[in-house]
Amino acid sequence: MVVLRAGLCPGLSEDMIQLLRANGIRTVVDFVSSDLEDVAQKCSLSYKALVAVRRVLLAQFSAFPANGADLYEELKSSTAILPTGSPSLDQLLDSGLYTGEVTELMGAPGSGKTQVCLGIAASVSLGLKQHVLFLDSTGGFTASRLYQMLRAQTEDEEEQAILGRLRLCFVLQLEALQRIQVVRVFSIYELLSALQELRDRLSQQVVSSMGPLKMVVLDSVSAVIYPLLGGRQSEGLALMMQLSRELKTLAREFSLAVVVTNQVTRDSSTGPLKPALGRSWSFVPSTRVLLEGKEAAWEKATTQRVASLAKSPRQPTGIQVELDIG
Amino acid sequence: MQREVGTLPLAPALRARLAAAGFQTAQELLDTGPCGLSKEIGISREEALEALQVVRQECHGDAARTAGGSGATRRCTALELLEEEQSQGFIITFCSALDNILGGGVQLTKITEICGAPGVGKTQLCMQLAVDVQIPECFGGVAGEAVFIDTEGSFMVDRVVDIAAACVQHCHLIAEAQQEEDHRKALETFSLENILSHIYYFRCRDYVELLAQVYLLPEFLSEHSKVRLVVIDGIAFPFRHDFEDLSLRTRLLNGLAQQLIIIANDYKSAVVLTNQMTTRIGQSQSTLVPALGESWGHAATVRLIFHWDNSQRLATLYKSPSQKESTIAYHITPHGFRDVQPPAAAHSTEGTEMNPRKRPRTEEEKQ
Repeated sequence: MVVLRAGLCPGLSEDMIQLLRANGIRTVVDFVSSDLEDVAQKCSLSYKALVAVRRVLLAQFSAFPANGADLYEELKSSTAILPTGSPSLDQLLDSGLYTGEVTELMGAPGSGKTQVCLGIAASVSLGLKQHVLFLDSTGGFTASRLYQMLRAQTEDEEEQAILGRLRLCFVLQLEALQRIQVVRVFSIYELLSALQELRDRLSQQVVSSMGPLKMVVLDSVSAVIYPLLGGRQSEGLALMMQLSRELKTLAREFSLAVVVTNQVTRDSSTGPLKPALGRSWSFVPSTRVLLEGKEAAWEKATTQRVASLAKSPRQPTGIQVELDIG
Repeated sequence: MQREVGTLPLAPALRARLAAAGFQTAQELLDTGPCGLSKEIGISREEALEALQVVRQECHGDAARTAGGSGATRRCTALELLEEEQSQGFIITFCSALDNILGGGVQLTKITEICGAPGVGKTQLCMQLAVDVQIPECFGGVAGEAVFIDTEGSFMVDRVVDIAAACVQHCHLIAEAQQEEDHRKALETFSLENILSHIYYFRCRDYVELLAQVYLLPEFLSEHSKVRLVVIDGIAFPFRHDFEDLSLRTRLLNGLAQQLIIIANDYKSAVVLTNQMTTRIGQSQSTLVPALGESWGHAATVRLIFHWDNSQRLATLYKSPSQKESTIAYHITPHGFRDVQPPAAAHSTEGTEMNPRKRPRTEEEKQ
């Protein structure tokens, strides 16, 4: 629904637009779907000029069909699989996080979603030396915990380094920390601004601060959307769909892996747990993982969690693995 | 500049009209200008001007940020955050076991939620924290002021006087033992009157007043920049009775949570909330769970649950981004919140066993 403006394409002059507008044709869709002979008569414009403009507009604004084989080639060359740093989680996700897709982690409070996100960010930054963008909307990002995880991961590789072990580990950890950018967004508009800014940077290919970005983590999406949903307003749903479109196009266009965390709610106080944000959001992520604690009561402290696959395009659902977030 | 119209913070009616008129990106709006806009959509010139101002602000914010300026976004690398966290102080609770499981005390810039049954000590801890936040830096505190928002009316000034007097006494003892200059200087300003005058008390009677207070808090905090603690004692109380529309309640609570996180982050203060407990009736048993529902559980970054074990008070760290789950025991003495003394020295506290639920006001009632 783009408004016709002078200069939108060669041949579309200001007078032409005024004449068209006087007859009720204001957007590209109106122009392309109207009968050109009729328009030529009513607006006293030349038919040939109108046909030329229409051809250019169609070329500019329509989508082109792509060959399945071409798509497959493109997919093979541009998709990467990022290991999450936890072998059991990799097994659940069919060897890791796929770029170009949105993956969702959901769970009750205290089930370990932020911990798993931190672990994945640490592993991608340290192991693959790729940049990570962490969008924090709950205030749960703790850099000291991230540092702890990085230390735990480098100490495993320490056995292989020969000289200057401690120094090298420390340098590696610092570099890994620098590759993780954290942006705190506490409302939906801030989040959308941050995503727009990311898109501008990536399309201008500003290499200085971003580097080769491979992953975007959003913790959590329900915290920014919940204040808008419900009641009789449909504004919340509209914004939620805008956000989902932004995330998906970012993932697809720039080959990023997008990880999102979500809450769980119950229908009534005794119903089963179900993911928050409703049916509309359930179509957005391609993979959904549910995190649960092993013990039901909160008197026993444990770092064991159970992750089950709730939705996946590649694996059968219902697979469960055990994770340790300690 | 290519921001979609749908992502700009405009009123929904205005957005619907813009979409119907065919505007897609912010650039198109800016190109049209206020006169053209008011003619196209049928709104007054003032409204068009306002809308364009909002759009311009958003786009300039974006452009400034892309060019490398810091702008208003809170972006930094994890390394910078780590340095910030390591230099940040904690608000101690005077119970060393609790400080240990929290990783040093109540953390600034995070929301901590305390849930518990009635009489277990939530308001006591809040009052203790309101005093402890004012401890001068040379004694290990953060030297800040406190905002206390009370919805239940359980704030007792004479109890705060007791706690503050004990705290000042404690600092005097440390200063005498260490004999340092800055300790003595700090003690001159750390007195009972000073402590009480730096606790800003607000009383909110229903949820509308509470919401209004929280939304007005940023202005208050920019005037009083030394505030390091915001306590809301009883966030469950105004929301639990008289609410027919549960989805409205969820929305209001989540909006409140986001507003509190913004306050905690921007003004570098700790936010402490107290919550009540409710019973969830399962198939064969019933358990006590924190009130306000599942979605509220995600609002707080750190969650502490206080409960009873016969006559011993226990605190469990249920949710934390950096500490493991663990349980410790604590005690509430006339001086405030304290550790549990080892059994050999506990004879003086036997009196409290007679009435473990709520400590009686006067000493004569205990035997």
